[in-house]
Amino acid sequence: MDHKYSNEDHLKRLIDYRDAREFHLKKDRRKRDKRMSLSEAIAEFVWDGDIFAETGFSYVRSPIQAYFELVRQQKKNLTGIGSPMSNTSYMMSRGCMTGLHLSYVGVEMRGNDKNFARMIKEKYAQIYSIWSHGSMAQGFKAAQLGSPCIASKQLLGTDMVTKNPYVKVINNPVSDEEDPVCMIPALFPDVCIIHVQQADRYGNAVIYGPAINDVALAAACRKVIITAERIVPEMTIRDKGNASIPFWYVDAVVELPYGAYPGCCPGHYYWNREWWEFLVRIGTYTHENMLDYTDNWIMNTKDQYDFIEKAGGIRVIDHARRLVEAAEGVADDTAISFHYQEVIPKRD
Amino acid sequence: MSNVAPANPLEMLAYNLSLLIEDGQIVYVGTGLPMVGAMLAHQTHAKNITMVFESGGQDPSEGCDMPWSVGDPFTFRKAPMSMEMAISFGQCALGYVDIAFQGGAQIDMYGNVNTSVIGSYENLKSILPGSGGGNDIGSLTEKSVLVGLQTPDRFPERVDFLTTPGFLDGGDSRQKAGLYGGPIAVVTQVGVYDFEPVSKRMRIKALNPGMTVEIAQACTGFELLVPDKIETVEPPPDEVLEILRTVVDPRGVFTKMPGT
Repeated sequence: MDHKYSNEDHLKRLIDYRDAREFHLKKDRRKRDKRMSLSEAIAEFVWDGDIFAETGFSYVRSPIQAYFELVRQQKKNLTGIGSPMSNTSYMMSRGCMTGLHLSYVGVEMRGNDKNFARMIKEKYAQIYSIWSHGSMAQGFKAAQLGSPCIASKQLLGTDMVTKNPYVKVINNPVSDEEDPVCMIPALFPDVCIIHVQQADRYGNAVIYGPAINDVALAAACRKVIITAERIVPEMTIRDKGNASIPFWYVDAVVELPYGAYPGCCPGHYYWNREWWEFLVRIGTYTHENMLDYTDNWIMNTKDQYDFIEKAGGIRVIDHARRLVEAAEGVADDTAISFHYQEVIPKRD
Repeated sequence: MSNVAPANPLEMLAYNLSLLIEDGQIVYVGTGLPMVGAMLAHQTHAKNITMVFESGGQDPSEGCDMPWSVGDPFTFRKAPMSMEMAISFGQCALGYVDIAFQGGAQIDMYGNVNTSVIGSYENLKSILPGSGGGNDIGSLTEKSVLVGLQTPDRFPERVDFLTTPGFLDGGDSRQKAGLYGGPIAVVTQVGVYDFEPVSKRMRIKALNPGMTVEIAQACTGFELLVPDKIETVEPPPDEVLEILRTVVDPRGVFTKMPGT
């Protein structure tokens, strides 16, 4: 890709709809075979300094193996955005991400991410703006709709509006009554990687299960990489007419089975829950732990197959497939147990 | 004499949450104890509730285990559809969601919640995960229920950072800010609180067995309002505890006391 952004200030570029439009106008929109390897796609389309959007739901259909490749390639000065954005944490600890537009970094009930706190406290990374999931989702949705902004009932009355230079509370301009609304600009990250169950070689992509913000992000982002469990014939998608991302949004298509592992990919595999608990409960505890954990699982693995071998190989991945089928009610779940050995660190 | 062990504090909490759900409601569910409460309500007095999730799952079929995350396949198991995130929250504003639950590191006297930062961003004591969907649900849903372990630090007079609006500065300030609905209750290991209708200050409503006004006050960093009459929560009937322990949370993921 040889064209650049006209707006070089990433803080302004995030809401610069003209810049996004110009960029989209220059994209090669011919229907062509966009298949390439993961390392080629990351090298060509994720640029140092980019605003990088997380997709999926942190550990549900998120392109985690692509994030790992981005870490291996030592991308620099990325600014993270997304709702949620739990993978930001290890990307910060490896020096890839130095800023973020924050919605949520953590692993829900599994514990607070101490690495995220440390990265901010020790100024490895800075927070540029603070959001809720829904308000950020509205920003992406506004972009998809082609609207410069959206009037929201979220964020009102909070301290987030004082820590978010992008939003503005005004009276609803189309109402005669007193009606405060929070104006949220359309948000245009530079690049996102979206993991899907099926795509064709041109980039038409099918999502099974919750789409989260990915359909909006595919429209909003200047550059889009699709990683897919399977590349299917174009006619398979045409038969059902169920693509939710059209090929002309897409710059690269990567066939990447297990691309969302150790997260969950609906229809394919359940999480490696222990991996996430180890990450948040032990890995994030100190910077050294975090480097060890990411050395072991990212720097010292070359691809998803390597990762799976390390995690226990065929038995582990087969179990993950059964669990997702049981959870989705596809397999007879009466004899399948969701019991697992929870990771509970011993503390002095 | 019953041979069912009495409810532990976490089970009491889940039980109190379940009682706030009425049959027929649409319930916005998060992970942890709120999910246990909703599932318990569904298994007992509220068979006809519908559960919806921020990750997009809508009205999943009942499964054999509990979701590990709000994005778990159990949240969209054999669901008729799932929704994009912005749209799933939009339903709260549209008036299709009756009740939602919200946890937080700090809850203040007006039901404002902090899930962002202890101290300030300029002078950090500790940093928390951030709003997630908390602000959206708390801003838009008709009735929200706050859930937390009650200590003076966690229940300060004013939250360090206002992430999710309760009644803001009390009185009609929430309405004036342009928000919908509002918190109806706070549920803790001590009991259940509501908000005095005019001042919107937190008030004791009912205490769990063995709890007193003095204990409730000692667990709080501001002055609780104490009405003339305080209810005592009846312990859950044996059959409800059985359902909680064998059907809803059989592995005790959320309702087993730590270290037991």
